[in-house]
Amino acid sequence: MEHRHIITLEVEDKPGVLSRISTLFSRRGFNVDSLTVGHTHRPGISRFTIVVQGNDQVVEQIRKQSQKLIHVLTVQDLEQKRSVMREFAIIKLDYNLEDSKEINEIVDLYGGRMLDSGEGQLIVEFSGTEAKINKVFRKLEKFKVLESIRTGKIGMQIGSL
Amino acid sequence: MGSAKNLELTGAQALVKVLEEKGVTHIFGYPGGANLPIFDALRQSRQIQFVLARHEQGAAHMAEGFARIKNRPGVVLATSGPGATNLVTGLADALLDSIPLVALTGQIPREFIGTDAFQEVDCLNITMPVTKHNELVHEEAQLVPALEAAFYIADTGRKGPVLVDIPKDVLTNSYPHQFGLPLVLPGYNPTVIGNVGQVKKALKALNKAARPVVLVGGGVVSAGAVPELLEFVRKLKLPVVRTLMGTGVIPVEDPLYIGLVGTHGNQAANRLVQKDADVIFAIGTKLGNRATMRTQLFSRNATLIHLDIDPAEISKVIPAQIPIVGSIKETLRDMLRRIQEKPIRQNQIPWIIGKKSSHLLATQDQAEVLELVIKALSAIDRPLHVSTDVGRHQMWANHYCTNPKHLPLLTSGGLGTMGFGLPAAIGAWFAQPDRSAVNLTGDGSFMMNMQEFAVAVEYQIPLVVCVFNDGRLSMIRELQNAQYGKRHIAHDLGPRIDYMGFAKAMGGTGYRVLHEDNIGPMLLKALNGGRPCIIDFDLEKIAHSGHLHAVANQ
Ligand SMILES: Cc1ncc(C[n+]2csc(CCOP(=O)(O)OP(=O)(O)O)c2C)c(N)n1
Repeated sequence: MEHRHIITLEVEDKPGVLSRISTLFSRRGFNVDSLTVGHTHRPGISRFTIVVQGNDQVVEQIRKQSQKLIHVLTVQDLEQKRSVMREFAIIKLDYNLEDSKEINEIVDLYGGRMLDSGEGQLIVEFSGTEAKINKVFRKLEKFKVLESIRTGKIGMQIGSL
Repeated sequence: MGSAKNLELTGAQALVKVLEEKGVTHIFGYPGGANLPIFDALRQSRQIQFVLARHEQGAAHMAEGFARIKNRPGVVLATSGPGATNLVTGLADALLDSIPLVALTGQIPREFIGTDAFQEVDCLNITMPVTKHNELVHEEAQLVPALEAAFYIADTGRKGPVLVDIPKDVLTNSYPHQFGLPLVLPGYNPTVIGNVGQVKKALKALNKAARPVVLVGGGVVSAGAVPELLEFVRKLKLPVVRTLMGTGVIPVEDPLYIGLVGTHGNQAANRLVQKDADVIFAIGTKLGNRATMRTQLFSRNATLIHLDIDPAEISKVIPAQIPIVGSIKETLRDMLRRIQEKPIRQNQIPWIIGKKSSHLLATQDQAEVLELVIKALSAIDRPLHVSTDVGRHQMWANHYCTNPKHLPLLTSGGLGTMGFGLPAAIGAWFAQPDRSAVNLTGDGSFMMNMQEFAVAVEYQIPLVVCVFNDGRLSMIRELQNAQYGKRHIAHDLGPRIDYMGFAKAMGGTGYRVLHEDNIGPMLLKALNGGRPCIIDFDLEKIAHSGHLHAVANQ
């Protein structure tokens, strides 16, 4: 059965490592929904969170093929129920005074933050589960969204590995 | 090597020193601006012989042939830009057939990288998907560790090609290089011995099996585990089938040997893995589509035990009920110890013995001549290096190259690279020059790397190139016959080429065979000559000569 998997990779932070991971995923035909990468608390080690679609066999191949890369240290398939997941979004809106009250309510309700306002434009940020970010986008649909960006998921397993 | 040493050397000198410490005796390659510092340093080496190929692809296949015979990494050296891109086919070939290679490429100086400078290509990204691992050396300090790691990675676990791309200024700068530091590869831990629980499960399944079969692939050969495999199957009386890369693992006359599986295999062998067997023990094979044909036909009723060094091969295409990840040699040894202590399948008689069923090769278009030549070659009972190219003749060679003294059969199984055979035979000869080399090739394949014949002439290599000259790409014609309603296009090689004349023009000897009676004697004459030569087998003329002709006319 096809479903979504969230895979985290810990990698040595070597030049070309991003390219290695993306080459592997595209060459094996793995479908990537989102990919994030950043440093961890350990020097020289970065962490990828990759959301992919596939059945269990495909995900098992992803795990094994990634593990074969010399610079990959660990590979985990985060079980959604035992992990925390977050996404982050920044949205730029065209605004006028009539809208501002309603927009402020949405920002408050979903724990967002106003980052900038002026010249008839607002920039707001939100973080939370993917479902929550989806909802925020739906609520903001009726206003004029000028630009937006979502990070894609980052995640971590609960408890020890 | 012992403890770390610290020496002020240029990068090129440091590189040559690493190669010498790794026991390298031969480098196959081609010079260019970016790698010339290496050549300059190589002049100082008494240990390393440089072999100038005539094309970088040829150099890569020579290194592959060398590696297969020596069972340690072959080394290939190319320059930046076109030198690096010419290596790509050879790297891919080595990756798919798990052949250990260390490929070294010169890169333009660091300050110009990324500027589309003369002869700059993004070698790292171009070769990433066709290598087991690759590195661009960014700093002097990384050079020696990257080279030492390259030899280790190429030659351990599932073997394969590793490329190190080195900017020219890293090669020319002097630096206090450190040698023999411990390798830091936290993400690389090749497994050695199969999990005990899985090994026990496998033995239990084999013990209970009514109709077990062992399927062997090239992994058994590259692991050097042929003796262990033979002991295992003979003890347990297990019938054996093989893939293309498993050629020669078990002698053809052995009653336990059933045949080759796959598209060009034997009926009986395919029946076993598709239908009859209840337990299949697959060893050192990726169960690729060439071997398993339509995967849904494979192993429908059987329990699959799959032993491989590479965890990613297990359950990649066909789910294994009993996966075992480990070194084939060590794991088979472990299994042998266990059955020594606690015997299984005692006093069994084999449930099937090899009836040597017919092959599944198309017999049209003078294919009978291929059979005659290859059988005549196999009848020559002396040690030889034998390589093939890719096409119809490769499949015939796979069935009829049966003389154990001619093994391993050097052939491009995974990538199916036309042009592999001639340079691979040359590389094999450099690895072991006390035996002559034979390359069985089609006229199409030969023309892909025929320039390498010049290397054979330069070194006066006892090499016999057998060109099956039919003026066409027979395999393509065969496919067009079978799958495209005999609508032929692009298989005709046009005006006939005089390969005898070509051999002479290159400084070698040329022969031509027009009659079937001359096949065996000509092979012997060519081999006894001990010099580079080409035998042009005119398939059409031979097919219409003598006995074959008489049979055809009856
Ligand atoms: C580099 C490369 N290009 C194309 C092919 C596809 N191909 C497979 S077999 C074949 C024909 C080979 O002809 P020849 O070498 O004359 O051998 P024959 O089939 O006649 O024995 C071709 C074109 C290939 N395997 N390798």
